Amino acid sequence: MNQEPKNLTPSGVGVINHKGDFLSLLKHANYPLKIDLPSETTKHGGDIEIAHSTTVVAVRYRDGVMIAGDRRATAGTSVIYDRAEKVLQIDKHSVLAISGSPAIAYEIARILEHSFQYFRRSQLQELSLEGKLRMLSRLIRENLPMALQGIGGVIPIFALYDLNAADDENGGKIFFYDALGAHFENVNFATTGSGSIWIRGVLRYLSRFGDAPLQEMDVQQATINILRLLDTASEYDAATSGYNAQAEIFPNIKTVTSTGVEDIADDELKACYAEAQPDAETV
Amino acid sequence: MRDEPYRWIEAIQDRRDYIEDQLRVGSPVVGLTYDEGMVLLTIGRGQRKIFEVHDRIALSAIGHPADIERLRMLVTDTASVQGFQNATEDVNLHRLTNFVLAHTFKQAFESIVGEAYIIKMLLAELGSTDDKNRFTCINYDGNVRTETTSTVIGGTEAIETGMQNYLATASTDTDRDLTAALQLGLEAWAVGKELSSREPEEAESEETQIDTAQMHEIIDTAREDGEIEAGILEITQRGTGKFRLLTSQEIEAALP
Repeated sequence: MNQEPKNLTPSGVGVINHKGDFLSLLKHANYPLKIDLPSETTKHGGDIEIAHSTTVVAVRYRDGVMIAGDRRATAGTSVIYDRAEKVLQIDKHSVLAISGSPAIAYEIARILEHSFQYFRRSQLQELSLEGKLRMLSRLIRENLPMALQGIGGVIPIFALYDLNAADDENGGKIFFYDALGAHFENVNFATTGSGSIWIRGVLRYLSRFGDAPLQEMDVQQATINILRLLDTASEYDAATSGYNAQAEIFPNIKTVTSTGVEDIADDELKACYAEAQPDAETV
Repeated sequence: MRDEPYRWIEAIQDRRDYIEDQLRVGSPVVGLTYDEGMVLLTIGRGQRKIFEVHDRIALSAIGHPADIERLRMLVTDTASVQGFQNATEDVNLHRLTNFVLAHTFKQAFESIVGEAYIIKMLLAELGSTDDKNRFTCINYDGNVRTETTSTVIGGTEAIETGMQNYLATASTDTDRDLTAALQLGLEAWAVGKELSSREPEEAESEETQIDTAQMHEIIDTAREDGEIEAGILEITQRGTGKFRLLTSQEIEAALP
């Protein structure tokens, strides 16, 4: 007689203890994590050519990290959407800013969000900072075949607030990833996307020679600087949008602090714009 | 054994007696709604008993810790996969109960050669509006009971009836705040605890009257080697996840 309990649902749900690993759970539930293209569609051979038409930027400021992205989505030379959200909240204290293939990037953000939740719910503790970073590394690495095929590369910036940081320390942390999933901690700033080349030098200049160091700025000063940086990127990069005064489309800007993740509201952005470009007739 | 109906029924009855005997001394759990959500409350002895299942679903149970853990994982895994594959809004208690849990419980209970789950489970779901809040209790045999404003699970039916009678007479005000809900919950817990310490025949008698002083004594005694545990599903919580455990300071502040 069959003594096995036949009572747990199929596809691995409930049969296997996944020990908090959401990817393993998804795989057992037969969720397709990858799109396997036939090899003849591989255009780029071994070259990794990441389509990263966007500008996202993160800076450390007084209370934590400020992270921002423009709103433009492009396909080739066409602008297909001007309200894209590229700065995505993952959990209470972390944010992912995406550049690269949006379909994969949103999927990675969603898996990441659910992974952290699943770990907390099943293991009854928060995933550690290092654990979160590794999870994102793994997702990017799993996506490597898509990146190699030249259609699904994603290079994100991951910003979070480390609640274990000492009281007198800024717990805001910025991490930058490469296409293989290696992560590096950028101490004061990071930027990625096609517009990033135009502003990386500016960030370095601000950080080292600016009137006030980036990490000592308050929210308003940081916002003004971020708006100016995105404006600069949009000036030289066709795939990065500036501020659309007519439609009032602002960049997404979020802050990550000890109290959590917050959006900078449009009203505040409007006020900061006036200050960011005081002599512009139409900003 | 299935060829001999009488022996099968007998075996089921033995199983029922065995499980109920194991459950009898379990620390009861009380579920109540309050003005800003729902609370689950118990006094545990070290092992955590109140859990987050999904954004708006919390779980508690009495029974064998290994069974609780296994079934908690089943429902958490299912909810997580469904929430990811569709949308988190598509995860709901009704589906989890009817399509995943109830038949799992029933099947384990009735396959008399396999292991039985020693468990009574209580799940709470925070609705989009107050009148959609749901408490669902699942018995070890797969029977499901759903309630809207308050519920309890205890070791025996008599204990549950006693606790529910207390809740019904003590308060009809469903607009209570969290402090009031915690106090009421603790009192109902004390009633359940007292009944579980009586002999089964006594517990079923009408004399379940316990005065407030006695309740507080029971709670104080229980807290000497245990801890009050309370989890809430809170509508005011930012973000999609509404569950959190109350801190010991918050619980302390609510005590009279």
